[in-house]
Amino acid sequence: MQPDIADPTQPAFLATYLAGLPQPDHDHAGPARSVREDDFDGHHVVITTTYEITVDGQPLNVHIGLSNDGSAHCHGLPAYQLPSLVDLVRVLIRTFPDEFSPHPTPGDGHDGDGHDGQHSHDHGDGDGRIHGDETSGGR
Amino acid sequence: MAAVRRDILHDDKARADYIRGVKLLKHEPTTLTTDRFGISGRARPVYTYDLFVIWHVLAMNTAVPPGGDAGTRNAAHRGPVFLPWHRVMLRWLEAHLQRVLGDPDFGLPYWDWALDGTPPAPDGVANPAASALWRDTPDGFGGQGSPVRGGAFAFDRADPTSFRVRIATNSSGALRQVTERGLARRFGQNAPFGSPRLPRTSDVRAAYNTRADPSLADYDRPPFDVSSRGFRNRLEGFTGPGLHNQVHLWVGGDMAPASSPNDPVFFVHHCNVDRLWEGWMSRNGRQYQPDMTAPPTLLGHRIDDPLVSPFAPASKPDTPGGVLDISAFYSYDTLP
Repeated sequence: MQPDIADPTQPAFLATYLAGLPQPDHDHAGPARSVREDDFDGHHVVITTTYEITVDGQPLNVHIGLSNDGSAHCHGLPAYQLPSLVDLVRVLIRTFPDEFSPHPTPGDGHDGDGHDGQHSHDHGDGDGRIHGDETSGGR
Repeated sequence: MAAVRRDILHDDKARADYIRGVKLLKHEPTTLTTDRFGISGRARPVYTYDLFVIWHVLAMNTAVPPGGDAGTRNAAHRGPVFLPWHRVMLRWLEAHLQRVLGDPDFGLPYWDWALDGTPPAPDGVANPAASALWRDTPDGFGGQGSPVRGGAFAFDRADPTSFRVRIATNSSGALRQVTERGLARRFGQNAPFGSPRLPRTSDVRAAYNTRADPSLADYDRPPFDVSSRGFRNRLEGFTGPGLHNQVHLWVGGDMAPASSPNDPVFFVHHCNVDRLWEGWMSRNGRQYQPDMTAPPTLLGHRIDDPLVSPFAPASKPDTPGGVLDISAFYSYDTLP
């Protein structure tokens, strides 16, 4: 039986809609760039900032933005608006520990074929950090 | 009959139905697989509940207007559409819950987090981690941990029917598969990692106090971003004590990244955010800014602009203006 993609009450309707949305561009290789603009006393101000961030010598290729008050944010942490980039990178490290692990799980960087269940870390340490992602990336 | 949304801590049936419905959606195949959503790795089935994780991530990565910066404003956050977009998302989840529960009158329950965040006495200390919401019994959400080991959404590796996270994001906010794992929560972390407290009832009252801050009588104000004065930004949490953002930060774990709908507490949290918005409209009228005279740089956030919703391409798309009055679909048992 074909899934009903015309009936909004069926899951295939929402699924088909979402599958048709444009895929976001997550390729942020190279120095991060932030553009801030302001209109003041009849003048248009543009402040372009580029910065390179490394963690353990590896570039951090994350789209980071600066607001006009100087606070920092990024796509990966929508509820955060932090006073410094140092804080933001610390939160990224804490939130995505597997991406910054010096000993990547065996599946990191692979597509996961044939690795079902091999990289899930049931730490049981109550640390509340998110572990066990099958595919890394983002750095 | 329109659904009535009730307090999850005062309505045992609404809480039990919500838990049962979430579990049913978590195991309901959509017929599509992960590759259809651009998620790398072996193609695996995508289940109905996880669609809401995908939707949230895609919307927040969608810059509006196209070609803009999703970090400035996006299709779900950091601008005026924050409240309308989440209202639509919650309504879709509620409709799917009604379907799987076989109850067209089911109302999504809300978590009045400010009550849990308020000290029991003026000089007392709040202990939101002790809230009945986090009970480890089958009618509770379980507490903190990685994985969460108690409550209805506990992880048990040996039990394939136990609650698990399948799709999340990386540090760039891109969708990714995860080897099935349990939910993670880490309550009350200090800044910058989280928030040591939940919002309080006094914080909510202050968000309605137009005498102290006349801008709160307006839904939103220029420049319509995270620096704006007005009610939307106060409730989203980029001004004032934090409100919506602060709840995500207090819960922590899977509530922190873009894939936060992975935690079922996301929806009862946002249901309360929607209730607070409804309470604001009962005071200030069903108004919304910006209107359609706003410049194209605000395309996607103006009152008649289509939302990133399944009805966006249709002849009658979901728009901010179109969802201001939801009385045909649901109401709240009490408004603040």
